[in-house]
Amino acid sequence: MQITLQTIIGGVSLGAVYALVALGFSLVYRTMGLVNFAHGNVVTVGAYLASTFYLSTKLPFALAMLVAIAVTGLIGLIIERVLRPLENRDFDLMLIGTIGFGIVLDALVIMIWGATGRAVPSPVPSAPIEVLGLRIRTYDLVVLAIAAVATVLLVLFLSRTKRGAAMQAVAMDHEAATAVGIHVGRSNAIAFMIGAGLAALAGGLVGPLLYVSPALGGTLGIKGFAAAILGGFGSIPGAIAGGLAIGILDSFTAGHFQGYSELVTFLVFTVIIMVRPTGIFGERTVNRA
Amino acid sequence: MFRRRATAISAFAVFSAVSVILAGCSAPGSDDKSSGDSSGPIKIALVDAQSGQLSSLGAWELKGARLAVDEWNAAGGVNGRQIELGVFDDQGDPTTGTNLARKIDSEGYIAMIGTAESAVTIAMAPILKQAEIPNITSGQSPGLVAAGSEFLFLNGPTSTTYDETLAKHIVDKQGTKSIAMITNNGSYGKGEHDAFLKALQSRSVTPVADQVVTTDQKDFSAVLTGIRQKNPKVIFLGAEEVESGLIVKQARDLGITATFAGAAPQGTPVFIDTAGAKNAEGTIVSSPYLGNDISDASKKFATAYKAKFNEEAELHGAKAYDGTQILLAALKTSNVATGKALADAIRATKYQGLLGNFAFDTTGVGISATAIGTIQNGKLVAAAG
Repeated sequence: MQITLQTIIGGVSLGAVYALVALGFSLVYRTMGLVNFAHGNVVTVGAYLASTFYLSTKLPFALAMLVAIAVTGLIGLIIERVLRPLENRDFDLMLIGTIGFGIVLDALVIMIWGATGRAVPSPVPSAPIEVLGLRIRTYDLVVLAIAAVATVLLVLFLSRTKRGAAMQAVAMDHEAATAVGIHVGRSNAIAFMIGAGLAALAGGLVGPLLYVSPALGGTLGIKGFAAAILGGFGSIPGAIAGGLAIGILDSFTAGHFQGYSELVTFLVFTVIIMVRPTGIFGERTVNRA
Repeated sequence: MFRRRATAISAFAVFSAVSVILAGCSAPGSDDKSSGDSSGPIKIALVDAQSGQLSSLGAWELKGARLAVDEWNAAGGVNGRQIELGVFDDQGDPTTGTNLARKIDSEGYIAMIGTAESAVTIAMAPILKQAEIPNITSGQSPGLVAAGSEFLFLNGPTSTTYDETLAKHIVDKQGTKSIAMITNNGSYGKGEHDAFLKALQSRSVTPVADQVVTTDQKDFSAVLTGIRQKNPKVIFLGAEEVESGLIVKQARDLGITATFAGAAPQGTPVFIDTAGAKNAEGTIVSSPYLGNDISDASKKFATAYKAKFNEEAELHGAKAYDGTQILLAALKTSNVATGKALADAIRATKYQGLLGNFAFDTTGVGISATAIGTIQNGKLVAAAG
């Protein structure tokens, strides 16, 4: 029993990070119908930026994160701006374009920070909390809290603000949205910017948990993408549920299947997707193109 | 509507496929084209991970090899010919490695330094053997010896030596019998697993836990909680630097106070940084190179290394330095031979290196002893007594 609970705790904190990555994927997808393949690389960039400002310029961790989010948000805007001429013309070229951006970002990271990577000390140095023989890292609680706040803010933005409502409208029917005077390009740009910001948030938060290296975003990108699909691609609650599910599933298979855990995780994932192709919270209304 | 979803799922397939393809085909590095004739520079290839999670190994290797090559070049090269070190990135991936093996063959490189990853080296070995290109690797898996290539040499001991020395220290000397094992399912981890288990079994010790993790795993809660309940005194780690560091960090967070033990990766700065110096404190390390202050040669090496790269020298740089020195010495004694003659010259080379006295046997292993060190105050030092 104790092992089971401890395994869940271990899976939840990485799951929260997967959820943030999945949110970024889903947000861009629901708005533009596009899968942003550069997303994993943006996570890496975010992780490096946050750790650089935290370690080198000695900014407080929270401030370092904000700077990282701002800079990566800008990168998101640039990606969208470059791809904009292709919008509604050639969808496949846009996909390839994001892959290209991923490779460029990957190369830039290695050029700027080197291929070696770095360890980031935890910004919350206090000892783990012990509850009924279970150990919970304080930093994990911070990660969960920040992920929760980010999700709530995102949902509020999408449902309560005019800009957010415009984005929803574009997601539903971009031609009708254009007809009523909504700037589709701007909507897309905001989706890309927020998506990149979420990637930086995930990367920055995961730094002290793992090891920041150019390979970081690859793993998180795949897991985050799987989480988005599992939850229902394009769905905000789906991204959260999918992320946590993948995190916990991963944690359990690691305990039971040891060296074959990765295989079992994705087998389970495949079976779920076969049974329920739209994912847990699959929405069909956001589909477009 | 359905088309959209199909796109999403096929996009996932593309995503995975692209990651694999990218890992497979790009091979940045030197693209110089000159033939392997007997004038002009002598072309030696260095193949190592220069990107990816194992790139720290590749970076150290490159520095060690570069230092040796530059020393020889500054002294006039070999028989008046300069040595050209071509750098290739295998990304720690065996498929990329086999492509590179063909590439260095077709580009006329006469010998190869690297790789630091046993799996990659084993994958490359048959091609290099066929092409008759001698290869001095930093891998340590017993599988390298099992590959049975007369062109493959190790610049250090195999896992068998590392782990036999480690088991001797922990079981025979300290009398600890309560030992748990965590190894990964990669080539290095598998070699460590088998070698350490064999060393324990020969002492009639059964590990209290024998857990296998994947090379890509990030969360070890399940494995570590299971081990915590067994309450071992020592936990043996058979995984690379970063993964071992993560395991130690998470173990301490879970309240595990056992001492960790391992071979080469557990003595490196990357391991200590990833785990946190406080968490890694007391880790027992079996290594042929315990530090830069061991001998006059290592002090000289460390000073030159620091002057050139502005960072502290460590085991992997020292291994690559030794391996490159041996290769260059063999090139000199053989009058820049290639193929089998060069391999024979390497095998005949007796070299007093940083890791000890090299004397290659028929299996290509040159060093068969390691020493025990512990991590104290974030640094690897020789164990007392």
